[in-house]
Amino acid sequence: MTITFQNLLPIPLKDRFLQRSSDIWNTTIQFEESAFIKIKAPSGTGKTTLIHILYRLRNDYEGAILFDSNLIKELKDFDLATIRQQKLSIVFQDLRLFPDLTARENIELKRILQDPYYPKEMIDSMAAELGVTHILEQRAGLCSYGEQQRIAIIRALIQPFSWLIMDEPFSHLDNENIQRAANLIDRECKKRGAGLIITDLEHDTHFSYSRELNL
Amino acid sequence: MEGLNVLLKKLIRTASGRKRFVLAVIGLSVAMLLILAAVQIQADYNELLVSKSNQDSIANFLVVNKSLTDQNLGNTALSDSDINDLKNQAFVESIGLLSPSRFKASIQSNSDRFPFYTDIAFESVPDSFIDVAGKDWQWTENSPYIPLIVPNMFLDFYNFQFSFSQNLPQLTQQVVKMILFKVNIYGNNGMISLQGKVVGFSDRISSLLVPEEFMRWSNTRFGKDQHTKPSRVIIKTKDPGNPQLTKYLHSKQLVTDAEKTRFSRYRQVVDIVVSISWLSGAVMLAFALLVFTLFIQLTIASSKEEIGLLIILGASPYQLQKFLIRQFFPINLLIICISVIVISLLQFYTHGLLQSQGIFINAYPSIFTLFTAAILLMVIWWVNRVTIRSYINKVN
Repeated sequence: MTITFQNLLPIPLKDRFLQRSSDIWNTTIQFEESAFIKIKAPSGTGKTTLIHILYRLRNDYEGAILFDSNLIKELKDFDLATIRQQKLSIVFQDLRLFPDLTARENIELKRILQDPYYPKEMIDSMAAELGVTHILEQRAGLCSYGEQQRIAIIRALIQPFSWLIMDEPFSHLDNENIQRAANLIDRECKKRGAGLIITDLEHDTHFSYSRELNL
Repeated sequence: MEGLNVLLKKLIRTASGRKRFVLAVIGLSVAMLLILAAVQIQADYNELLVSKSNQDSIANFLVVNKSLTDQNLGNTALSDSDINDLKNQAFVESIGLLSPSRFKASIQSNSDRFPFYTDIAFESVPDSFIDVAGKDWQWTENSPYIPLIVPNMFLDFYNFQFSFSQNLPQLTQQVVKMILFKVNIYGNNGMISLQGKVVGFSDRISSLLVPEEFMRWSNTRFGKDQHTKPSRVIIKTKDPGNPQLTKYLHSKQLVTDAEKTRFSRYRQVVDIVVSISWLSGAVMLAFALLVFTLFIQLTIASSKEEIGLLIILGASPYQLQKFLIRQFFPINLLIICISVIVISLLQFYTHGLLQSQGIFINAYPSIFTLFTAAILLMVIWWVNRVTIRSYINKVN
């Protein structure tokens, strides 16, 4: 599935973005399948806005985004749900776990929302790799932010996808944990032949990016 | 799928607003019972009206004549249009003219040991209106006797009053049927004497009946006036209690045996009971559905954030709808099942109770009741579905 941006401009930020140049805003750009895309930008330049537009959480923009040849603005509820179950996986900056479910339940929910991609043992194996086995049975709301980040990453990796979108996923992790998470993410993406879109503040070398863009 | 439901159950708390839920369930149950009871009562009543085992040979035949007042004395004949109009009423199945004898007649004992004599008049009706007509009920000029059907009332009058006052023996139906007696007919050319015999007793028509052939023959030969209009007719009706019938007769100033139309009063009472049950059932159903709908809305509203996040994570509205229907609908199914069972038990009990009084209704609930239950179930399912769908879309 290719992703194409056509002269995209979020309406609330329109005036500001028209003033300056960007690799994504107000231009046409296409992400090929399996590409690893890094989007770098300082705070307040619309990273999260972009992610939310791409995931179709908001529609207040001009221009268009296409998955293959389909305008995402025109997706029906049912198709959108199917895309979120099968094609598009996400780690939100604000994580969005269910605080009252345990860490395991949060992951399990995403695993069985569609026909499972992995058996449930995979949750334990990924949790072990990221060092969060001990909090799996704990309510997500009680976990530290760094732990929640790793749970959110596992939740995103447990489902089938052809694009993984991550909005500053490592903000609360130390370097060792970042490296482990990056290895797991890299492996899971390659396994599915999936692309990766990651936003961050700084340049990094966690993945071998095919493109690095400035927002 | 099962695992997903367990997780969804944790997220979407159906426990909030328990009180409203219990209220809605009670309301729905009562409404269901009232509506199903109304249908069942109506079905039972219809069954009572049409079923063979309940058919009352007296009640379904009504002898109708004009009500006699000071104004129409001597003018009580029914015109052709009166009769046609009556014939065209929906409640009249068939209509027969009662022909009176138009000559003077008397009956007299053949034996001196048991003397009796009385002046008499006959009537005849088409055979299809007679309940006791058998092989004896025919007459030709060569017949040895004229068969007669006597109202039971006459014999009762004789046995329980007349015989005492005249010091005569009491007579059973069988004895009366064995007696041959003289029938004297007085025509223009004097009197002729024939033989007569009682062949049956009936409650249906309160006059002395002879076969139509005899009536034609004798009226032609001895009758004074050849073209008189009939003044009484007999009608056959499915339901003598039909309030329409009573109303019609009243409006046309016709009368019949009031005792036979007594059912119309009961019928009105049943109609009122059924309508009240219907109406209150329908109103309660509407309110109960409203409360139930509010309960669904409340549940969805109180889990608004969870539902929102589920949809963000890729749960399809359809998945959530299915889950919510599974949460709310089974209780409705249970309510309807229990209502049907209660109605069945009541019906069975009523069946037993009425049977001992000689009234037969079905021991099982009618097909209409089950049909109504199925329709109500569909209505509730539909209301559930529409509410859930529209509220999930609002959250979305």
